[in-house]
Amino acid sequence: MGDEFEPKILGFTCNWCTYAGADLAGTSRIQYPPNIRIIRVMCSGRMDPMFVIKALTNGADGVFLGGCHPGDCHYTKGNYYARRRINALREILKAFGLDERVRLRWISASEGPQFAEEVTKMVEDVKKLGPNPYKEETL
Amino acid sequence: MVKCIETGDEALKDLFKGLLSSGAVDGLILPQRAGKSVIYTLVTDPGKVKDPAIFAPSFGFNAANILRKWLIEDKVLGLVFKPCEARATIELIKLEQINPDAILLISVDCPGTFKNEDYTANTDEIGDKLTDEIKSKLSEKGVEVRAACTMCETKLGEIGDIGIWHMGLGSTTVVALSEKGEAALSKVEGITLGDKDIDRSSLQSEIKSAAESGREALKKELESLNDPLKLLDVLNDCIVCKNCRDICPVCYCKECFFEQSLGNPRGGDLLNIANTRGDVRIPPYGLFYHLTRAYHVCVTCIGCGACEDACPKGIPLTLIYPVVARNVQDLFEYVPGMDLEEPIPLTTYQEDELEPR
Repeated sequence: MGDEFEPKILGFTCNWCTYAGADLAGTSRIQYPPNIRIIRVMCSGRMDPMFVIKALTNGADGVFLGGCHPGDCHYTKGNYYARRRINALREILKAFGLDERVRLRWISASEGPQFAEEVTKMVEDVKKLGPNPYKEETL
Repeated sequence: MVKCIETGDEALKDLFKGLLSSGAVDGLILPQRAGKSVIYTLVTDPGKVKDPAIFAPSFGFNAANILRKWLIEDKVLGLVFKPCEARATIELIKLEQINPDAILLISVDCPGTFKNEDYTANTDEIGDKLTDEIKSKLSEKGVEVRAACTMCETKLGEIGDIGIWHMGLGSTTVVALSEKGEAALSKVEGITLGDKDIDRSSLQSEIKSAAESGREALKKELESLNDPLKLLDVLNDCIVCKNCRDICPVCYCKECFFEQSLGNPRGGDLLNIANTRGDVRIPPYGLFYHLTRAYHVCVTCIGCGACEDACPKGIPLTLIYPVVARNVQDLFEYVPGMDLEEPIPLTTYQEDELEPR
């Protein structure tokens, strides 16, 4: 392990697709980095951008948001709203150089390998970005 | 072709009196002169229309701010507003904060404004109507037009029910923009509307190109904040007084998250937060507050810049709110406060858009 930077990534996954996808990745024994801490919410439409802002200002190195594919939302349209919200949020964060730490992905309940792949990729990318600069600051 | 009447400036006072005495409106929100300053007044007695200063380029706050929760049913309030105030009013109607039947929206031409304290200090030089000549004269003195006004594309009073125009015209002209406005004007004695061709499209394109270069300049300034730590630096002086929220016309929540115990931790809660991180700023959550507010107003921000004026610490909030919000609005091709029928982007969606994320 050594001194290599291990990012802490907060994950919000929807109950019906991405959480089940993550579960499948686990039960299929697919290896992916342990840097992600998952919080299950009922729908990507429940993922208030304020959660993301709070995570970032509390020192999370990245925030991963996962929902059902467009058209597959258990509640019909929660992920469409989430897509607009997170895009608006990322546009704001872009102005302050924080947008690359936030990522929204569609992962269905059957896409365990894709979940592992996306998490692996995000951990790699955040490692390249380095730690969240707010971690060392007094906020 | 528009239905209008040339009034000149003197007759405007009679128009406002007439609107009140004819019962077209039950009250008028009207900027009036008070000493060297311009104040906003809510007038119900025609005799109290003393010295209207509707074109005076003075901006203290966005008057639409006081209209939140204006849900009165049986009275009509006339609003003599600058375009940014009129746009905020329209956004508030969309947000169901104002009963649209309870207002008569009158917008006036506005070539840009000074902070109200700057205006008061230079009243004699600035006068009633701002021209480019006066602008450059004051610029030499170091008194600049407000940053938000330099990127404003909606300087013409073409929003709402009635417009009062002077830019690009020989004399001040009152224009009916909707049936409601026409009906209100027809009630006023001595006003007969006539049809006239007024084409201000070249003026509008001039305004637009000036606003675009103003916006580019502000975007350049924003680039200096393109780093999390630089943002933190610029917010170091913030005392989290939340004035920018209170004065914002479209930040309308009745109970703000940052007034509740979760968003405004005190006592043991605050100590717990310090314990989890080792330290915490007091007052807490300045950065969290500003980023959250930037998100909350990102699609409805009409870019009036009242936040920056209200900041007691001189933080460049025009960059953090209006300039950033414009970027978000471009994403959804949405111009807030223009069309009552157009839904606010975050309340709607299209199935096929914004991909890949």
